[in-house]
Amino acid sequence: MIISKYDPLKLEQFQVLDSEGNIVNPKFEPKIDDKTLLHMYKTMSLARMADIKALQYQRQGRMLTYAPVQGQEAAQVGAMAALEPQDWLSPAFREFAAMLYKGVTLEQLYLYWYGNEIGSKFADDVNVLPVNVPIGSQVGHASGLAYASKVLKKNQVAVTYIGDGGTSHGEFYEAMNFATVFDAPMITIIQNNQYAISTPRHKATKAKTLAQKAVAFGIPGIQVDGNDVLAMYAVTKEAAERARKGEGPTLIEAYTYRIGPHTTSDDPTIYRKDEEVEQWRLKDPIKRFRIYLTNKKLWSDAQEEQLQKELEEYVTETFKKVENSDNPTIDDVFDYTFVNNPADLIEQKEKYMKYLKQTFLQSLKETSKANKNLKEE
Amino acid sequence: MAEMTLLQAINAALFEQMRKDPTVVVFGEDAGFEGGVFRVTKGLQQEFGVDRVFDTPISEAGIMGSAIGMAINGLKPIAEMQFEGFMFNGFNQIAVHMGRMRNRSRGKYSVPMVLRMPWGGGIRALEHHSEAVESFIAHIPGIKIVIPSTPYDAKGLMAAAIQDPDPVVFFEPKKIYRAFKQEVPETEYIVPIGKARVVEQGKDITVVAWGSMVREVQTAIKSLEKDNISVELIDLRTIVPMDTETIVNSVKKTGRLLVVHEAVRTLGFATEIITRVIEKAFLNLEAPPTRLTGFDIAVPLPRGEHHHMVDPKRIAFEIKQLVNYKV
Amino acid sequence: MYEFKFADIGEGIHEGQILKWLVKVGDSVKDGNSLVVVETDKVNADLPSPVSGVITKLGAKVGETIHVGDTLVWIDESGSASVSEQPSEEVEQPKAKPIAMALSEGKEDNPAGVVGSIEVSDEVIAASTEMMTDHQVDSSPTKVLATPVARKMAADLGVDITKVKGSGESGRVMKEDIIKAAESSKSTTGGAITTPVISMPTFNEREVTRVKITKLRKAVVNAMSVANAIIPMTTLMDEFDVSALVKLRDSQKEGAKQQGVKLTYLPFIAKAITLALREYPIFNSSYDHEKEEIVFKSHINLGIAVDTNDGLIVPNIKDADGKTILELAQTIDKLAEQARARTLKLEELQNGSFTITNYGAFGMKFGTPVIKHPEVAILGVGGIYKKPIVNDAGAIIIADMLPLSLTIDHRIIDGADGGRFLLRLKQYLSDPASLLLRLK
Repeated sequence: MIISKYDPLKLEQFQVLDSEGNIVNPKFEPKIDDKTLLHMYKTMSLARMADIKALQYQRQGRMLTYAPVQGQEAAQVGAMAALEPQDWLSPAFREFAAMLYKGVTLEQLYLYWYGNEIGSKFADDVNVLPVNVPIGSQVGHASGLAYASKVLKKNQVAVTYIGDGGTSHGEFYEAMNFATVFDAPMITIIQNNQYAISTPRHKATKAKTLAQKAVAFGIPGIQVDGNDVLAMYAVTKEAAERARKGEGPTLIEAYTYRIGPHTTSDDPTIYRKDEEVEQWRLKDPIKRFRIYLTNKKLWSDAQEEQLQKELEEYVTETFKKVENSDNPTIDDVFDYTFVNNPADLIEQKEKYMKYLKQTFLQSLKETSKANKNLKEE
Repeated sequence: MAEMTLLQAINAALFEQMRKDPTVVVFGEDAGFEGGVFRVTKGLQQEFGVDRVFDTPISEAGIMGSAIGMAINGLKPIAEMQFEGFMFNGFNQIAVHMGRMRNRSRGKYSVPMVLRMPWGGGIRALEHHSEAVESFIAHIPGIKIVIPSTPYDAKGLMAAAIQDPDPVVFFEPKKIYRAFKQEVPETEYIVPIGKARVVEQGKDITVVAWGSMVREVQTAIKSLEKDNISVELIDLRTIVPMDTETIVNSVKKTGRLLVVHEAVRTLGFATEIITRVIEKAFLNLEAPPTRLTGFDIAVPLPRGEHHHMVDPKRIAFEIKQLVNYKV
Repeated sequence: MYEFKFADIGEGIHEGQILKWLVKVGDSVKDGNSLVVVETDKVNADLPSPVSGVITKLGAKVGETIHVGDTLVWIDESGSASVSEQPSEEVEQPKAKPIAMALSEGKEDNPAGVVGSIEVSDEVIAASTEMMTDHQVDSSPTKVLATPVARKMAADLGVDITKVKGSGESGRVMKEDIIKAAESSKSTTGGAITTPVISMPTFNEREVTRVKITKLRKAVVNAMSVANAIIPMTTLMDEFDVSALVKLRDSQKEGAKQQGVKLTYLPFIAKAITLALREYPIFNSSYDHEKEEIVFKSHINLGIAVDTNDGLIVPNIKDADGKTILELAQTIDKLAEQARARTLKLEELQNGSFTITNYGAFGMKFGTPVIKHPEVAILGVGGIYKKPIVNDAGAIIIADMLPLSLTIDHRIIDGADGGRFLLRLKQYLSDPASLLLRLK
């Protein structure tokens, strides 16, 4: 049992794989089959490639605001890999890698960040909620998802993510407190990437760790090296078992770093030093994982080169597709408000469509003589 | 059939729907064991157990967020805000997620929940226990709102709300929780959401009201019988989606409109009703459409509350003015 | 006698049960002493006495229910005890719930609500008609379709909008429709003056024949009605010796005829009038009763009343003062002819400033002609006739007399002015040579 052994109040942080790729805690090295390990690695790499390219596209003016996850891939993929397919993910807005692992496609993710809600319509068997911008509110949803699973005996665990800044929010406390009272099968992972836009972690709360907030709720909490994918896996697995047994929520603090900016519209050089970023680059999660896999003879430089090429192609192709995709139709914009839109909303839509038809017809007539006789249907 | 108060009718609807559908759950502060401070949910936990009917911590945001999560994952939650004045603590979830989840996920997820709360003034209470807050929510796309004025409507509307696949806010006019009884069928029936009710037919003026105001208007109408004024009274019942057609047809007939509501004046729901009537019946108007509402002030504490609550005398006065308006 | 009533002790309590009496009839109590323990659904309350005195009557027995407002205890403050029977009031139990729900019976049927107090009543209201006859709202619009602006216009113009035929979509009454309705039903000029509405008596239709009036007649009806309604008219009359004029005309008649002009007396009279109007411009004005201003006109457009088959038409001679007597004669002739042939132009009928009406052709002498609103005077000319008069020398002679009747608008022209005007005309016409001296 890992969680009880690492007391956040004593500033004890759990790690299995250090930044050089060495197993420093063999007792708790999780047993993961090769196929899963490789899938984890490839997903993390895909997330990294997609992330870097998204930033490039944004700077090229081809993409809108995007929230990068660079440096946080292990905190996300490590945890997701420990879950069952029926388990839920209630993300905030910086869980790109986690969503990829849970079955959301790259195309869908890109479509969302490109500005089309259709990117949030995941497949039926993908139990992931759409990207959630209002901070903290996703934790309440996880609480409800978990409670429903419990009452309806669905054997689902609901996992939610929140940032270090987000833990100051009332919704975090209310949702955690609520879920705990009912022993909801839930896991809350705090991605402590050290910054909330420009606000450093120590300004968000006086508590020395975020994991220790679990004490206030009356649940176990643990601080984990968030860049250690194996540690994240191990801890999440244990938390999930706890939840499934009806023992209630667990709070996991993934101690990591936001290599990139808050969003593409942020300039982190204003509030942090390059040296700090460089220090953290040395702790890169993908690098150490690759060393681990190589040591296990599951990976090679040649495979790495091949993978990078494939990922580059795949990401480029996918983005091109998204760039050429259609805008939402007027039906899309209106028809998802209610199951059955009421008369006045339908009227608004019809009036708008009539207006568009008229102006379109008008401009057609003006552009060409041949169109002069065009009539409205 | 049985004689029930509004409160009993809601309770009856909850029993009925919970027996019918095992995914319906009820919760709120003190709503479980005690059955709610007004006893609306009384007896439910005893029959359906603590998993389905439970007390929550004082945590409106927790209640709302969890209700939404539950609704997404297969339950039909009926969440309670203990008093309408406290819904603001959970307003983030109401404004940002409750009506939006369907659109955000392009139909993959929906929120078939009911949010119920005691509503409105007239019970001489402390502050924030007497507000009529429908306008705040009416401005949020994707959420339905109903306010019954009779026990019959209360039971039928609650059944409809529970069965509605979209989120419904159910406001319960606490002033008339127990003020009168009515014959209510004990078997299941639905009062459709989105349909107003013509309480009395008339030809001189259309009066639109809802909640506890309906009864006040009825009293006013009685006092005007000797003046030979024929009033058409419409109980709106559903705030969103509003039954524009019934009201407009009525105004086309009478040419005059008075909207009566408890809520604060500015951007109170009368604003929406009158605007729609002007949009669709402009040429039929013989007098300016008028509203009789609470003032743009904080609801006074009990000693001064009577100034704020619209009463039958003021209603009768306004009706007379409008009917006598000469072009 | 002080009646201590059971009050709403807050928390929405409506009733309670007597648990235990701490006093009995006859006891002396001080203000603040506990009297009774009452059990409510939230709390057991010790109720202290609000006054000092002697208990004379208890309001309920132990175990009985009391409602807010019931008297708990009677206390005689005067000091002397008067013992009276404890009333055995039957306090009505709340109606048992007749419904098959899990609302439990017993005292806990009264939800606290924790704040405020809820009205509790057993009143039963009418059942819902929802399921029954789906009584449709009678939605047949019977009201007129019109914008508020149009409605106001109709009101201002005195038009009953419900009688106006709407030319707009769906029978909507447009502003133009209202203006048209106002003009066609105009029995007034403009909207400022309205003729009083007088209802016609009913005739035995079998004893009468109805003929619709012509447009012309209608115009005359309107003109006469308006003038009569607005102008307080008075007529000054005089006749004088115009033998000299008669001689003058006789001498010029042939010469005029050779020039194709029929020379009557009217041109002379017209000329005299133009001179008099220049001297007394008020007779060539209008009275603006709205602005309370006299509107003096710079042109003298002399109206000549012409009798036609269908009625009176009054064309006017523009700038009559600039014409010679011969030209006046020509113009009068031409206008009369055009009037009868109905070839007059509209402008010839408009903007007259003074009118002459000549009924001398019928042998009439005096009359009380009606002013043509918005003019302020009219001269009626009678037929010249021979009459014996006494001249200045005191001898009886046979003179040619010209009778004149001058009707004036008494709002702005007084009798004296009217007299002066007539005198001037008498001067010019009885002594035509004086006309000659003033010819420009």
